[in-house]
Amino acid sequence: MRRWRGPFIALLILALALPAWAQEKPRSGGELVFVVPSEPPSYDAHQEETFGVIHPMAPHYSTLLRVDPFDKTGTKPVGDLAESWTISKDGLVYTFKIRRDVKFHDGSELTSKDVKASYDKILSPPAGVKSLRASAYGSVKAVDTPDAHTVRFMLKWPESSLLLNLASPWNWIYKADILAKDPHWYEKNVMGTGPFKFVEHVRGSHWVGKKNPDYWDKGKPYLDSYRAIFISNSAAQVAAVRGERAMIQFRSFSPPERDSLVQALGPKIAVQESPWDCLNFVSMHHEKKPFDDKRVRRALSLALDRYEGSKALSRITLVKDVAGIIVPGTPYATPPQELEKLAGYGRDINVNRAEAKRLLKEAGVPEGFAFTFKNRGIPHPYEPLGIWLIDQWRQIGLNVKQEILEASAYHPMLKRGDFEVAMDFQCGFIVEPDLDLGRFPSTSDANYGKHKDTVIDDLYVRQARATDTEERKRILRTLEKRLLDDEAHVVYTLQWHRIIPHNSRVKGWTITPSHYLNNQLDTVWLTE
Amino acid sequence: MHTYLLKRLLLIFPTLFGVAVVTFLLIRIIPGDVVELRYSGDRGAVSQQLLDQERARIGLDKPVWRQFATWIWGVARLDFGQSMWTGAPIWQEIKLRFALSLQVAVMATIVAVLLAIPLGVLAALKQDTWIDYAVRVFSIAGLAMPSFWLGIVLILMLLIVFQWLPPMVYTPFWVSPWQNLAQLIWPALAVGYRYSAVATRMTRSAMLEVLREDYIRTARAKGLMQKLVLSRHALKNAMLPVLTVVAIEFAFLIGGLVVTEQVFNLNGIGLLFVQAVAHRDYTLLQALVMLVAGAFILVNFLMDVAYAWLDPRIRYR
Repeated sequence: MRRWRGPFIALLILALALPAWAQEKPRSGGELVFVVPSEPPSYDAHQEETFGVIHPMAPHYSTLLRVDPFDKTGTKPVGDLAESWTISKDGLVYTFKIRRDVKFHDGSELTSKDVKASYDKILSPPAGVKSLRASAYGSVKAVDTPDAHTVRFMLKWPESSLLLNLASPWNWIYKADILAKDPHWYEKNVMGTGPFKFVEHVRGSHWVGKKNPDYWDKGKPYLDSYRAIFISNSAAQVAAVRGERAMIQFRSFSPPERDSLVQALGPKIAVQESPWDCLNFVSMHHEKKPFDDKRVRRALSLALDRYEGSKALSRITLVKDVAGIIVPGTPYATPPQELEKLAGYGRDINVNRAEAKRLLKEAGVPEGFAFTFKNRGIPHPYEPLGIWLIDQWRQIGLNVKQEILEASAYHPMLKRGDFEVAMDFQCGFIVEPDLDLGRFPSTSDANYGKHKDTVIDDLYVRQARATDTEERKRILRTLEKRLLDDEAHVVYTLQWHRIIPHNSRVKGWTITPSHYLNNQLDTVWLTE
Repeated sequence: MHTYLLKRLLLIFPTLFGVAVVTFLLIRIIPGDVVELRYSGDRGAVSQQLLDQERARIGLDKPVWRQFATWIWGVARLDFGQSMWTGAPIWQEIKLRFALSLQVAVMATIVAVLLAIPLGVLAALKQDTWIDYAVRVFSIAGLAMPSFWLGIVLILMLLIVFQWLPPMVYTPFWVSPWQNLAQLIWPALAVGYRYSAVATRMTRSAMLEVLREDYIRTARAKGLMQKLVLSRHALKNAMLPVLTVVAIEFAFLIGGLVVTEQVFNLNGIGLLFVQAVAHRDYTLLQALVMLVAGAFILVNFLMDVAYAWLDPRIRYR
């Protein structure tokens, strides 16, 4: 009897483990239904800004590189149409080998000509065609195609962000012949090489895609089809997930919405969370007194009890982490011990506020000094953050009146510089310092506070061109100290926090810090 | 009669022109424009040059009078242009949503009429009895409750009690009647109840007034059955003001279910209105206002015709 015990136990363990193993093995079939809170204005991602384009449409397209769909930091580029690549020693030539077995949805073969035509449209669009992110490729001198399956990017100077920029979820590869005939064709039509083919778009209602049987990655996608339902009202979005009319919404829900779904659905819901590559910061107009004085700006940052604020606000709105200039948990993020050295990030709020009061007094700002804080009329997280900021500033003797502006009045206000202090924001599509900090050089169109700082300008260029990771980190820390502490050009609040409660049948999808990433759906599958 | 109707028909054009002018000017008073909103997404850092180019492309750089002239000339040819947000032809955007809004309006009207007329008549006949009081409570509750609130309650009830939610995507009736009704019956009930409350009050008071008329007394004195007195003499005459209320509410429903459509995620004209305002999609918004104004004018015109038909005493000159 004893001699059977060993194999019996082994068999038992195997039998118990089998269902779990089988459950995690991707299963083919089914339709993923998801909610999209916005809708594509046009179908051309090169000229659009909204995730309403990416979420329903990304599954139809491929990009040269993509961000690893299983990388939670959303910072690791992997090949999509490129099967491999090399970088010259001087960092000026990037050579990509293009997969040979890729077909467009019309059956034609994809070649390097299509990649070049798409990038030519992005980098230098023909007259009358818009390209919103052309400025991110200032280092690219030319794109050429030595053969049908090789693409080369020639640079004017080494640029550490290039690979991630080439993994941009916006840079869909279009068919060269179509672009040659009509560069506007993709504004109203869909035809790519992605894992799903286009079926229909009913405006205001839904978008449907079906499995592409000729997708280059054999065995994928797992889903037979997907259906994106456009729902703008957040209560209706929650109801759709709760009533199992939809399985997921890829942008984010708020903490109370997450809690209500978890409470209602229990084990039927899984929740993924991540720091979000979006942030609200306070812009102070450098040409308006007393905000031209860095002591006043520093005081506004020192007044904030970010750690307690994080605890309270993360229960009600989309913010959580106390962070520096880069999303926490990603390669260039500020280590907590270094973060605490910055003005307003120290753990002792009494010390910080005493310093803030001293600075205000030194700058000649009287007790009870009043100013207007202009905020955007969006419930999450602008409004709770605004209330929190006002309360924090009140505690150093400032008297702040909030003025809430509707979205269409808010942006012109920032651009005109019609504010003393205003809520500003940054939202990136990939965590990359070049992209996340691009608004802080003095010459940026989005430098709404109108600071002039050649040191920041220089540091920004230096970090962008630093090819050594450690050196780049050092430069970024110096830039961060100058931006948030020494000059306090802006006051960072709290990092946004992305919350995706989804039906637990949805597998193979990993949250990243960007709601623009990981939407091709080729890895997603559904359990029984 | 014919001259009167012709005059009424001709008056439609200056009325619509007035609506067009007011709409065109009013929406331009709201700060911001479609270009600002479209390109101020999550990054919010699009260059001024690009914004200017886009404004020029859709004609927003031209003087207002010229924009108006171009638009009104298109309207005169029934060409409402393209949506500034999507670039799709306006008629396409509206056609998509119109069937749904029309169906909800028709269903809500049926719900309202089925509730309002029997209840209103009953309340009038049983004036100051418990039945009358119960109908009053029912109808005043309907007036007090916004239909979107009732919609939310209905959705929560379906979710919590039945763990079921109406379909989120519109299926035309001829494709799947069951799917179609499963989605639209709830908003029709929510809207129809409020709508019925107005009509019930009107039916009750009109009936009370008519029941005191001499010709009703005469009919009764002649020994006519109560049923005949009510249906042939009282109800027909009491229906005139009720018909007005029902018709005007119906026209309102075509574009007025703004919040209810959001609550039930209905891809109708009301939701399109909200999106057009939110996007500052001037061309779409102008077309939608013209559509609703047209619906009101048409309903009013038809009402005038119906009045003459229903009440021979009414003669237009």
